[in-house]
Amino acid sequence: MHTHARKVLTAALFAAGFCAPALAQQTPAAAPAAAPAAKPAAPPAWQQGRGAAMADSKLAPHAGKNTETPASEIPIDKLKLPKGFKAEIWATGIPGGREMARGAKGKIYVGTRGIGRVYEVTDQGDKRASRIVVDKLNQPAGVAFQDNSLYVMSIDKVLRYDGIEDKPDVPAVDMTAAFNIPLTTHHNWKYISFGPDKKLYVPIGAPCNLCEPPEHAAQIRRYNADGSGMEVIARGTRNSLGMDWHPKTGELWFVDQGRDWAGDAGPEEELNRVTKMGQFYGYPYCHAMGIPDPDIKKDKPCEGVVKPVTTLGPHASVLGTKFYTGNMFPAEYKDTLFIARKGSWNRTKKFGYDVVNVKLSPDGKKAKVKPFLTGFMNAKDDSFWGRPAYLLLMPDGAMLVSDEQLGAIYRISYSGGKKK
Amino acid sequence: MLSRLIEGRRAWLLAALLFSAPAAAQLTERCASCHGPDGTSITPGIPSIAGQPKVYVENLLILVREGVRGSAAMQQQMKGVSDREIIALAAHFAKLPLRPTPGASNAALIKQGRLATARYRCGICHLHDYRGREGSPRIAGQREEYLSDVMRAFRDAPPPGSEANMSAAMYGVSDADIRAMAHLLAHSP
Repeated sequence: MHTHARKVLTAALFAAGFCAPALAQQTPAAAPAAAPAAKPAAPPAWQQGRGAAMADSKLAPHAGKNTETPASEIPIDKLKLPKGFKAEIWATGIPGGREMARGAKGKIYVGTRGIGRVYEVTDQGDKRASRIVVDKLNQPAGVAFQDNSLYVMSIDKVLRYDGIEDKPDVPAVDMTAAFNIPLTTHHNWKYISFGPDKKLYVPIGAPCNLCEPPEHAAQIRRYNADGSGMEVIARGTRNSLGMDWHPKTGELWFVDQGRDWAGDAGPEEELNRVTKMGQFYGYPYCHAMGIPDPDIKKDKPCEGVVKPVTTLGPHASVLGTKFYTGNMFPAEYKDTLFIARKGSWNRTKKFGYDVVNVKLSPDGKKAKVKPFLTGFMNAKDDSFWGRPAYLLLMPDGAMLVSDEQLGAIYRISYSGGKKK
Repeated sequence: MLSRLIEGRRAWLLAALLFSAPAAAQLTERCASCHGPDGTSITPGIPSIAGQPKVYVENLLILVREGVRGSAAMQQQMKGVSDREIIALAAHFAKLPLRPTPGASNAALIKQGRLATARYRCGICHLHDYRGREGSPRIAGQREEYLSDVMRAFRDAPPPGSEANMSAAMYGVSDADIRAMAHLLAHSP
């Protein structure tokens, strides 16, 4: 019995393919859009594409924190900014907080992943109060606000709360059927954003680290606010979350996270620009500034691929992305881009854990990436305490930064060195 | 046995001193009534909680309290327990040594379990001695039937939350391999 079991196991080992190239070759045949039936075990989605060279690596995604962190336990003094800027703790007690959306009347809504909650934060002047709008959802990372309604998108649900700023107990309108989003979990903890066209932009990630994605995945879509009129905006994106529209041209710019298990050097993550509908951005064949994938190979892998405006560093986990259109920061920041980099896990030395500023021309040329908000990470002992996940501009021109690790929101303001 | 009782009692006293809220000692007692006085469970189906990584227990207990994870009985127990109390509970049980009594081992199952844990790369997250770290629980010395149940649940009815990794890890794993891995892990020091 046991001998037989071992033989079966050994056979399964060969059949499944232990290293990445074998898996990669297997994937096209095994990737129909329908839910997979029983088949030999694939490694977890976040491990796919890991080659033999990294088989003994202990790199794994860092644990988040579901418990509340009081302000007294947040080392805000460690944050560093250019001269004249200041960081302060704006709100705490929102474990796992990621994407933020500001309501018409100033309430801030915050999505999460594992803890399954959406928060509402109310500014009471000298302090902020928060409450839970909805809980027990499956990774409700996406929140957006338009015309007095809050939209929440989890892995498997789309909910709309009409007039929630005035009616805290308003029941949700279930929009799930209208949007008909794919239900695969991996890389589908989405950020959602309303564009200047009043349509809702929804990224659908690749359901793996590295695979030939099914037709409905690895893309950015947009819908009418009622879920109708779905169009694919961009294809060949891997795990794209942050996006914003250029204040002058109105074009969509988005960031995309690069694949894992291809070494410490990258491929680097990307900042992209959409000049035409439905263009192809390279995943899984071609990464960054034209690096062919070492595992999923095809002839002329980078042909017809839109190259990024700039790269954003290896394994940085690029997230919240915002053009600065406020009037508080110095003029040199006007229409530049801020990007939150949550920080790496798939790298032997940590990278990211900051907010960078990208100076650029509207055509995307001459992009220059410079660290802006740092100090979440300590390179000396390779430790970190905070993970910036999203950026939100306030009417006064200050910028809010959500910290997913400590469940806090920080406010970045500029006073030109003058003491307040 | 006596020294074990004394040490368990000492830990209990220490916990009582450390916790500021008077309810804290009652809480540890509440846990101990099912999970064992020193956090090592002797009851089938109920996991040991001694020696578990603090972050893992904190994060899991929050999800249980929120009704996202765990049994109805555990959700009932966690009702109204504050984040502070959960942090204190996790710190308390993380420090207690695990003292499992897994019974006789089966050499063939152990061998199959070794092959399977290598095949499914359990050690990447749970570490190669299976003592766990951060958000990944200690699985060495855990109760065998509990390990089997949990692995089957991750495979057949994946719970929501970022622990999707564990469901992905268990995808397509056979009952025979689950049985063997549970046996090996329960007998790991």
